[in-house]
Amino acid sequence: MSAVGAKSNASPVDRYKAAFDARWQGNDELTALRRAALDQFLSTGFPTQRDEAWKYTNLRRLETRSFTPADASALDAHQPEWLTTTGTRIVLVNGHWLPALSLQTAQPPGVTVLTLKQWLQREPAAVAAYLKEHDQLTGNALEQLNLAFFEDGVVVNLADNAILDAPIYIVHQSTSAAAGCMSHPRVMVRAGRNSRATIIEHYLGANEAEYFTNAVTRLEIAAGGAITHYRGQREAPRAFHIGHIQTKLAKDARYSIHDIQLGASLGRTGITALLEGSGAHAALFGLFTPMGNQHLDAHTRIDHVAPHTTSEEDYRGIAGGKGRGVFNGKIIVRPDAQKIDSRQSSRNLLLSPTAEIDTKPELEIYANDVKCSHGATTGQLDATALFYLRSRGLSESNARALLIRAFAESILSTIGLEPVRAALEKQIDERFKLANEAKA
Amino acid sequence: MLSIKNLHALAGEKQVLKGLDLEVGAGEVHAIMGPNGSGKSTLAQVLAGREGYTVTDGSVTYKGKDLLSLAPEERAREGVFLAFQYPVEIPGVNNVYLLKAGLNAIRKHRGESEMDAFEFLTLVREKMKLMQMSESFLNRGVNEGFSGGEKKRNEILQMAVLEPALALLDETDSGLDIDALRVVSNGVNSLRSPDRAIVLVTHYQRLLDYIEPDHVHVLSDGKIIKSGDKSLALELEKRGYDWVKQEAAA
Repeated sequence: MSAVGAKSNASPVDRYKAAFDARWQGNDELTALRRAALDQFLSTGFPTQRDEAWKYTNLRRLETRSFTPADASALDAHQPEWLTTTGTRIVLVNGHWLPALSLQTAQPPGVTVLTLKQWLQREPAAVAAYLKEHDQLTGNALEQLNLAFFEDGVVVNLADNAILDAPIYIVHQSTSAAAGCMSHPRVMVRAGRNSRATIIEHYLGANEAEYFTNAVTRLEIAAGGAITHYRGQREAPRAFHIGHIQTKLAKDARYSIHDIQLGASLGRTGITALLEGSGAHAALFGLFTPMGNQHLDAHTRIDHVAPHTTSEEDYRGIAGGKGRGVFNGKIIVRPDAQKIDSRQSSRNLLLSPTAEIDTKPELEIYANDVKCSHGATTGQLDATALFYLRSRGLSESNARALLIRAFAESILSTIGLEPVRAALEKQIDERFKLANEAKA
Repeated sequence: MLSIKNLHALAGEKQVLKGLDLEVGAGEVHAIMGPNGSGKSTLAQVLAGREGYTVTDGSVTYKGKDLLSLAPEERAREGVFLAFQYPVEIPGVNNVYLLKAGLNAIRKHRGESEMDAFEFLTLVREKMKLMQMSESFLNRGVNEGFSGGEKKRNEILQMAVLEPALALLDETDSGLDIDALRVVSNGVNSLRSPDRAIVLVTHYQRLLDYIEPDHVHVLSDGKIIKSGDKSLALELEKRGYDWVKQEAAA
């Protein structure tokens, strides 16, 4: 691999062009698609803060680095702390599938789970057609970058009426071999009519490496389908993580995402929910906790395309040290989309005078018969509550951690899968040093 | 047990305590009465170590230690307990968690082992019975959605579980109906013991019908201007505070 994070004289986008030319040659349909995506990226480059969607998140630091595609041969099998041990587990290490850590289970009828590479090997034309239909020339520059460079990922297909009780657990692990590397994993979920499943995406790394994860997740939920989506981001401290999630909901489809951002030096999740059929419901829950010098951004967009659609959104940010958090929640109600019910709440907690959270609700309402509510607050730990806990014998640090945990709990409590919730609660407690003075 | 000498303190920037002296011995129950604004609550907050109150002169010695140099949690671990006038609602922090965390912190400080879950729950259930509280309160957020009376009961429940050496009750009777007052008073009376001191801060005499004090003090303009036995409280009830002030001024 090339020098870690080295600056070179070539312009940032030219370095990506060079990396592309070194990795992808040929004239097949997919490579042509990749090249078109790369050209799209090269023409715009990285988003800048002049771009409204990136107003509070500066990508210059990411842009100055040189990352090359991660090598599939440099995998070391290190078993992390799993969020759950049941269901199907697919582990990608530095963007490449690692069967040794994965766990295959027999799927019920109508459920297929493949790695993207497997699908590519079996049906290259179908993959190209899918990407052409769904991704070509849509999405922002970084989504185009993913399309240009993706190597592997996960494809989940649920036939009509397929019910999957056990979760599908997708782990994206980065090891120290990822230093100087980028990965562009893709997760694609196609849920048939009245199907139901739980998808867990877990991005993690515990090393000193500087690397770049640029992940795309696409979900399509057909009429009456229901997907619960957990997304935990706990990348290594020096990592860059940009995640793009887009979910399309047909009539009466239901989608909930629980977006927990803990790691990375610079992290962002961008979530788009398109409510395209009446009766569709999207619920977005998120927690981001920038500490130290972290920058964590939660960018959501709920698009009420069809009438009679509903959404709820509850995001909380906790920032300490010189941490910087961003919440941007856009809600769009299209001109003919009447009878919309939408609620949004953004609450933020600042733990130090040098921490900052920018919160920006954006409502674009073009219909008149709608109910949209939103509220945003930013505050500090309640001094009276802190004193109350200390007056009962709890140390100041433990009292603070307890109040932080209580603040986070309203998001964590939305996680219905008990082991996942317990694991994330533990990570939050470790992060804010909640000593277990009262283990039940 | 508690010796307060010439205590001067600011609440925010306002001089509220102006030379308060008080001696409280083990086994004693003291009532501090006084009109609004006399400094009763400030005294309770200063003793518990709340931020925003500044001691400008004087000393407070508790069990031979300089109480004012201790952090609030250190005071709690040394056996000082304040029952709040306005107990704080803390959604997301479990009532039972707080009880257990507090108790274990205090036990650890005393060099005792942590209580196991069974022992702890047995103790808590017994105390809840005393306070006539349903066990459903255990798994609710601290004081979350509790009525005024429930909050006060919860304060005394905490006190009964933590078993402090010095209990300070700040206007515990305010906002209680007569039944709740009886339950709360029973809880407090059950804690009377030869090695425990109780200081009641109250505006009204009626609490003292239920918790009989050994000593009654009148606090006015930041100082104790008269002390007596329980008959003083009855006299205050009949005659108000003005005559004491006039007597003190004379």
